[in-house]
Amino acid sequence: MFHSIEEIEQQFATQGYIADRHLATTVYLATSLGKPLYLEGEPGVGKTEVAKVLAKSLDTDLIRLQCYEGLDTNLALYEWNYLRQMLEVRLQEARGVDKDEIGNNIFEEQFLLKRPLLQAIQSAGKRPVLLIDEIDRSDDEFEAFLLEVLSDFQITIPEVGTIKAEQPPIVVLTSNRTREMHDALKRRCLYHWIDYPTLEKELNIVLTKVPEIKETLSTQICKFMELLRREDFYKRPGIAETLDWANALLSLGIDELDQGTIETTLSCILKYKQDQDKLSGESLDKALAVTKNFKGGPGVSAQGSIN
Amino acid sequence: MHSNDAVSQRGDDGASVPLITHIVQFGRKLHDAGIDVNPSNLIDLSRSLLYIDIANYDDFYAAALATLIINREDMELFSLLFREYWQNREIPFEDEFPASEEKNGNGAGEARQLQKQLQPADGEAPGDAEEHDGDPEQTGYSSRELLVKKDIDGMTDKELDEARKIIAELIAILANRKSRRFSPAKSGQQLDFRKIFRRSMPYGEYCLKLSYKTHRLKKNKLILFCDVSGSMERYSRFLIQLICAMGAKISNIEVAVFSTRMTSITPYLNRKDIDEVIKQMSDQVHDWAGGTNIGGCLRELNEQQAHQMLSSHTVAVILSDGWDQGDADLMRSEMEQLRRRVNKIIWLNPLLGNANYQPLCKGMQTALPFLDHFLPVHNLESLSEATRLLRTLWH
Repeated sequence: MFHSIEEIEQQFATQGYIADRHLATTVYLATSLGKPLYLEGEPGVGKTEVAKVLAKSLDTDLIRLQCYEGLDTNLALYEWNYLRQMLEVRLQEARGVDKDEIGNNIFEEQFLLKRPLLQAIQSAGKRPVLLIDEIDRSDDEFEAFLLEVLSDFQITIPEVGTIKAEQPPIVVLTSNRTREMHDALKRRCLYHWIDYPTLEKELNIVLTKVPEIKETLSTQICKFMELLRREDFYKRPGIAETLDWANALLSLGIDELDQGTIETTLSCILKYKQDQDKLSGESLDKALAVTKNFKGGPGVSAQGSIN
Repeated sequence: MHSNDAVSQRGDDGASVPLITHIVQFGRKLHDAGIDVNPSNLIDLSRSLLYIDIANYDDFYAAALATLIINREDMELFSLLFREYWQNREIPFEDEFPASEEKNGNGAGEARQLQKQLQPADGEAPGDAEEHDGDPEQTGYSSRELLVKKDIDGMTDKELDEARKIIAELIAILANRKSRRFSPAKSGQQLDFRKIFRRSMPYGEYCLKLSYKTHRLKKNKLILFCDVSGSMERYSRFLIQLICAMGAKISNIEVAVFSTRMTSITPYLNRKDIDEVIKQMSDQVHDWAGGTNIGGCLRELNEQQAHQMLSSHTVAVILSDGWDQGDADLMRSEMEQLRRRVNKIIWLNPLLGNANYQPLCKGMQTALPFLDHFLPVHNLESLSEATRLLRTLWH
């Protein structure tokens, strides 16, 4: 477990994740207080990554539960392996097991299909990191169920009994906020909103994740992205898009942004046709001009916008 | 500076009692400003002080934010209150809130005010609705009487009652959908393997009875988007009145009225004086002479409701005659966007009741390709017809 906020900042940086002090404090408290961490933010700002990096920093397992509508306890918790159970009964018959004995063992653990939540609770050794990804996609029933599991970290399987976690996992929930979650669930967690990064932070991220890139280009990329995020797009680009774009430009061997380059690689950053159409002609020229004129290094507050 | 202040709250002997008092006081202050904080959150904050250095203002702020706040919208107000409380202890509490509420015009303060206003109406809502529907002539509000007469001219109590039934049924049809989850059923197309297996356990390997499962019913979200320009106003008002009369029965509904601008009236649905509210809104916001701008209003709808109401389980109902004076391209792109986000779009058009009507006007032409259903609503029969059609098609 971590011993200080600084340690988290360092560990995360080693794993290539630039965390600000605020996030580091929240993560530190979550691990120390043993409370789930609830991360919210626009898509592509690195919510899921926090859980991955956390698991790596602690050198422990990452157990991931991807939420979707219709996800139920059979898929999140456990399910009996019916086919194996039936086969076992037949095999026992074939082996000539005594009639009273047949089927006595089929509700044992070997016939249990363990799903992520059970895995996380049963896990021996180090506390695993349980990532419950995109919780906003699940439905109300699952949310209610999760509330129960997260409050006492125990699961009851009628045939086996109650399984209680020896040491509760470190839980990270992420949400893109496509729907509002119930307050009760959020109240049990430490809440943190991950915003789009500042220019300085984003530059830092790009240089960490794409070390081969030249500083001029990365500054231009980050400045351009900063301008884009101020505009009214259907889907604003996140950090994931910035990194994709940086990688794309790098592999194309480009040193500096120009109109042609941006137009050909636009699909890396804007994923909707209407957004791409919006950024063409005059608005693109203007953004490019601002980007090129931007000489200030990281930390200089930016001026100007596309429109 | 501020951090020194914070430390001094500990007292000389380092006892944490005064500090906890401050935390509780701070929690109360948040509560008064409309941010709900419960005791367990305050306990968490107190516990977190074991791990962080309270003299570090930023860390303490981060801890307080993480433990006390659960909505991004509250953050701005929170940071304001946090600064006020922990930086400068001289300000008397009572004086602070008007300023902070003003700054967050659409935030907590207003919501709280609204809630206050709604509270008395809430308690009386059911009986009240009954009264209006049963006998509109006897209500005490002259404005209401006038509107009812104007909107539903010549309608008797019986007809009004019938209208309410039809709307209730229509909403029930729109608001329910099949879930992907299953629940046990007496018969059905899918076998419930788990249950069969368990049931046959006592009988050894023999399966005596088959168990089935079927899809559950779930609730849709419903968006009602009503045109209140020109002649459409009376239809919209009629529909909204009927929906309000059902009051608490409907959840997950968003009602917005539009002409040149869009205004959400969902917060007012439970109010007794809904007519007054619609009227005020029309007077304030809607530019009656300016014609209808469906595209622009759809755009507002798409932007404002994107997170809360627009999802694959949303049914959008648009009530309009389609006379659009806005930009057709904008309307097309916004209809397209709405189409992608919601499950069904239904357009109710009173003009469709006229046998000679052809949807030739620009707005209607633009919208038609994106609609699931295009239905008339000029009188009760047509509404009932529309309900029947939807029932056969959807259930």
